Amino acid sequence: MSLLKGLRLPEVKQVPFPYPNRIDKYEVVIERDRCTACGSCVEVCPTYLGKSIVDYEAFEKVGGIIRLFNPNDICEGFKCMKCVNVCPHGAISVRLSKEYLTLGDHRWTSDLILSTWEQAERGKVSWRYEHRVGASGGGFDKLRFDFELDEEGPINYDDFFDPDIDTSITLNKRDDGRPRITIPIPIYGADMSFGSISLNVMLARAKAAQAWDTFVGTGEGGYPEELIPYKEHVITQVATGHFGVNAKTIRRARIVVLKYAQGAKPGLGGHLLADKVTPEVAKIRETVPYVSLFSPFPFHNVYSVEDHYRHVQLIKDINPKALVAVKISTPVDVDMVAIGSYYAGANILQIDGGCGGTGAAPIIAKKNIAMPIEYAIPIVHNYLVREGVRDKIVLMASGGIRTAFDVAKIIALGADGAVIGTAELVALGCKRCRNCERGRGCPSGIATTDPVLSKRIDPKWGAQRIINLYFSWLKQWHYILTMLNLKSIKDLRPKGEVKFVNGRFNHLIHLDYLKG
Amino acid sequence: MKYERAFKRYNIEVKEAPAKVKLPPKYLVKRYANCVNLQECVNACIYGVHIIGEDGRVAEPISEKCRGCFVCVLTCPRGAISVEINPEFAKLGDTYFTPERMETIYFEAETGRVPVSGAGYGGPFAGRGFDGMWFDFSEIVRPTRDGIHGREYISTSVDLGRKPPYLSFKEGRLISEVPRVIEIPVPMILDSPLRNNRYLNLQLAVVKAANKLGTLAVVRKDHYGYYLSRYRGNIILRLSLAEVNEVGKVVKGIKVIEVDLTKSKEPRIKVFKEALATLRDLDRSTLISVRFRYAEGVSKEAYLYFKEGADILHLSVNDLKVKDDPDLAVRAIRKVHGYLVNKGVRDEVTLIFSGGIAEASHIPKSIILGADAVCLGLAYQVALGCKVCYGEEHKEDCPLREGVDDVDWAAQRIINLVNAWRDQLLEVLSGMGLRDVRRLRGEMGRAMFYKELDAKVFGGGT
Repeated sequence: MSLLKGLRLPEVKQVPFPYPNRIDKYEVVIERDRCTACGSCVEVCPTYLGKSIVDYEAFEKVGGIIRLFNPNDICEGFKCMKCVNVCPHGAISVRLSKEYLTLGDHRWTSDLILSTWEQAERGKVSWRYEHRVGASGGGFDKLRFDFELDEEGPINYDDFFDPDIDTSITLNKRDDGRPRITIPIPIYGADMSFGSISLNVMLARAKAAQAWDTFVGTGEGGYPEELIPYKEHVITQVATGHFGVNAKTIRRARIVVLKYAQGAKPGLGGHLLADKVTPEVAKIRETVPYVSLFSPFPFHNVYSVEDHYRHVQLIKDINPKALVAVKISTPVDVDMVAIGSYYAGANILQIDGGCGGTGAAPIIAKKNIAMPIEYAIPIVHNYLVREGVRDKIVLMASGGIRTAFDVAKIIALGADGAVIGTAELVALGCKRCRNCERGRGCPSGIATTDPVLSKRIDPKWGAQRIINLYFSWLKQWHYILTMLNLKSIKDLRPKGEVKFVNGRFNHLIHLDYLKG
Repeated sequence: MKYERAFKRYNIEVKEAPAKVKLPPKYLVKRYANCVNLQECVNACIYGVHIIGEDGRVAEPISEKCRGCFVCVLTCPRGAISVEINPEFAKLGDTYFTPERMETIYFEAETGRVPVSGAGYGGPFAGRGFDGMWFDFSEIVRPTRDGIHGREYISTSVDLGRKPPYLSFKEGRLISEVPRVIEIPVPMILDSPLRNNRYLNLQLAVVKAANKLGTLAVVRKDHYGYYLSRYRGNIILRLSLAEVNEVGKVVKGIKVIEVDLTKSKEPRIKVFKEALATLRDLDRSTLISVRFRYAEGVSKEAYLYFKEGADILHLSVNDLKVKDDPDLAVRAIRKVHGYLVNKGVRDEVTLIFSGGIAEASHIPKSIILGADAVCLGLAYQVALGCKVCYGEEHKEDCPLREGVDDVDWAAQRIINLVNAWRDQLLEVLSGMGLRDVRRLRGEMGRAMFYKELDAKVFGGGT
């Protein structure tokens, strides 16, 4: 039986940005000198209440203002070009906008950011943007499902929404008497601490997690009381700094995560800069305001698998009902660490790949330490299969998982599900400008504790954006499963070892190795 | 006396040293004529790009302060603001010394700090050469160190010179030659700058920096003079073959002499042997380094240099060639190091690598691949304003063509850069749980290679 039948699906509501302007993929430029304002372009424009026209050249030349259309909807770009063709004076040209060309990076291309914004706004994919892969040139961006190669035209994912398809996963596979928590979608929210992100953002994420009956992590920054109404959906973290960790918070959570390492700065401690330690943050972290906070690395009471076992048991003793998740990153011997965690009694193993997000980390660590998640998951999965314990532990992947297709791909590579951090923040308006670590923090009001800036995010608005994004993702998973003739996302995960031959494995294709 | 012998932790003195000529800003913010002075952008921007001018209207945007958050673009109801990548910025450097790398080097040279940023890494999945490597780190089962915040001491010292595999004694007295080894506190030495019209100040700055850092700087014979003599303990004198015979008394007090064979044709071993004999006659205690270019089959040559008596092997790869083929740097170190290992002599000789070092991570990567230390050349010159010149001399339009005016400023920028790179080396070492950079050398198991991993996971089977 599908779990979705039991779940009241959250409602999708239109939640645009609270900004008057928007970043478009295309810009239409009209040369003032040639334009006679005949209006023929207005007539042919399919989105007649069309398009904000920013006429850079003309402004520079003439200093006048041309505004032909209302800035309400989006230009279809090179596919349409009707206005360009109809203009008798050749005054119109369509090109990629300056902002589109500036936004984003190799992994989160401007297309991915804009499409995530669009999904967060409307709960739909418009196919105006590449919404599946980025341009990093490897990993997810080179992997495809086999049906994608002969797919045609824009697909309306709404048509594939099917309540009989099961996208739920179970977060406990051990017979240890602890609850078998099931979540209806194969994702939950990553750990982000109060201090690295604002309380409003935490609330938005918690509300979204509640609506989807899944979870969200508090990170290592204490458990703000404002989250208590959502406690059924909150994972709390025990990390090396033990900031704001006490028996009370551990007993409150249904899942407790022990963080051993973080993909963005594996092997290094955390560092919250003094600027961000406001009195509220200090209070909840049980420390002094405006003093830099270091989380050391590693747990100095865990130097062996035996120590690790005791560490997990300690949490299990404090909260006999909680599931214990262990968050590790991806060194050379990630498979050994994984099996160690299994024997230590972890219910969930969260593997955070080298491309994971962070509030602040040395660039050398982000770029160079630890392997990407696309390698780590198959390596760990295969090892657990060989050891015969794969079906006893839940493997969650995180670190660089951006889209619904990334989630599906990582499941097809051996994970049970994924943990989502950055995508949620992008839904809230993150542009990946990477200034989270300095001064007042995020100008979009996300990764900040500044009392003024954090008001830029309204929790209700934010929650709806994340809800919409996941709704859009759900439809895409339904589409993928339909195309693969599967009824449950659990069946997407390989039962045996992952082994690519000629660039193919099960439903997956790696473009670099594809033959025949 | 007692206090002089007390342990002193190695510390690099960092001082702000802003660039004389700033790099063009990364973002270009423009305001168009449809601005009607609503001043929404002034409230929205937290970096001070948009400010109100003296006339009470919004002033021209200050692009230098922009950090690319796009909030002003979104906030302006008139659509009157655009943010784009500055074309001047995009033109900086080349495909290897990318604009981002240059920006990072400028930041490091100015502040001496480790570059930190938020959000995940946004670069390509992997790259070629050094960019196709990831570091290992330790997790749970191996203790890691906490070096960067200074709570545990991690040594970055390395030894230059020959280390005999064993010592011989006769009747209780040492009969083998006492090894002559120089310990430098950072695994980085400074190469001689490219030729320019006024070498004096530039060379002095490099040597001064080396002196403050406690490391060594390579100086060409024709750049060496009285003005450097007080720093001779920090100098590696670089001699071409022709200069070996005429060097005479100059070498007094110089600890290392480098015989430059990068221009020599075969038979190099024979000429090196002769040069070595000449130099040994002058002063037996000087360490002799031999600088040679990487080419096919050079590994054996390196081994023969060692056999003939070289104390230090300086493997040099042409920066320009690394730019065109980044794999070259990785291949060169791996091959030469591997050959020496196979011959069973790797621990007896020092291997220095130069070429293609453009960012902090290249240092631990070179060491993992098998170098003892690296020699920085182009990188510190870029920090001083060089427009990335390859070859023998600075190009006509390069600011370093005319050297530097302010010696202390230039020295400080080099010091800052080395400090930032050393701190990043410490980050990597602490992540791996190592206490000593010497332990990192040749630890290939502490690296993951993109090509190998990718083939293992996705390329399996044929």
